Amino acid sequence: MKCRSVQKKLSAYQDGELKPLEQEELSSHLLGCRSCRKEYEQLDWVWQTLGGLEEISPGPWFYPQLARKLKEPRKRGLLPTLQHVFRFIGAPAIASIILVIGLAAGSYLGSNLARRDLFPSQGIPVSDSQSGFFASMRVFDPAPPGTFAEGYLRMASYEESESR
Amino acid sequence: MDKQLPNEELMVKIAKGDEYAFQILVERHQTSLLNLIYRFLGGDRTKSQDLAQEVFLRVWQAARSYEAKAKFTTWLYRIVVNICLNELKASRRKKWLRFFQVDREEQGVGEEDFSGEEPSPEDQLLSKERSREITEALQRLPENQRMALVLKRYDDLSYAEIAGILNCSVSAVESLLVRAKKNLQEKLKIS
Repeated sequence: MKCRSVQKKLSAYQDGELKPLEQEELSSHLLGCRSCRKEYEQLDWVWQTLGGLEEISPGPWFYPQLARKLKEPRKRGLLPTLQHVFRFIGAPAIASIILVIGLAAGSYLGSNLARRDLFPSQGIPVSDSQSGFFASMRVFDPAPPGTFAEGYLRMASYEESESR
Repeated sequence: MDKQLPNEELMVKIAKGDEYAFQILVERHQTSLLNLIYRFLGGDRTKSQDLAQEVFLRVWQAARSYEAKAKFTTWLYRIVVNICLNELKASRRKKWLRFFQVDREEQGVGEEDFSGEEPSPEDQLLSKERSREITEALQRLPENQRMALVLKRYDDLSYAEIAGILNCSVSAVESLLVRAKKNLQEKLKIS
């Protein structure tokens, strides 16, 4: 076994996670190789040092306090529920859903209001090709036909003419 | 009731609302869970006790939906990992608020030691100092390395069990531990 492959496996060797044959091979390599043994000793030093971390015990009130908490009603208002929903599906997904709903509602309302011929225009007769051209140019209007804005403007102007 | 009942059977009883079964389960796992949280979060006893209780509350609430597909301890430790990671996120958020906090709570309240032994004051001081150094070194490790290391070193779980808890592969656990040990080696030498 080469030192490089031994040193890669030292951590698993220390944790007893190698197959028995590999474990034996590493043990015999460590017996004969000083530099690998030094590496292992450093790992072992870390492991032993970690043993110096104090251990704590639960206080005598641990269970009684827990039993009391069991009987308390869980506080779960609207805000925690919303937070839970947000965490579950994520903010970008929610933003996308809101955007799609907004666009759908806007175009539905806009086209509905614009389609309703509430205010028949007294237009000058024009040919089909001319009307098609004018209609296509209206996309540059502040309120293009078929949009919510146009519907709103037409409603507003109708109300104005009614009040006169 | 037999106190030696396996965890899975206790869970069946807990699902039916048996508080005594719950008490047996809590007493069986409270010390290991408490220490896991304490070591992972870096030495706040009061906070660790609160979080350990939170873990058991979740066990009580989830008992009805619990299915003994995986080993019980793997399921339990997964709850601990989730709670610890949520706590870390929350404490990061709280750091921002600390700028505006006028009255800071004094630390160390309710931090009595419940171990029965009484070492000498010098030994106590040395061991506390060493413990503090180790805790600090652990806290400087990335979260996943730290959790893998704590589960291996103090709970002596196998790589397969740790992989089940952290939801990753066995080889990922192996490399997490290699890196954690290397990092810790450097940090402990420096400190």
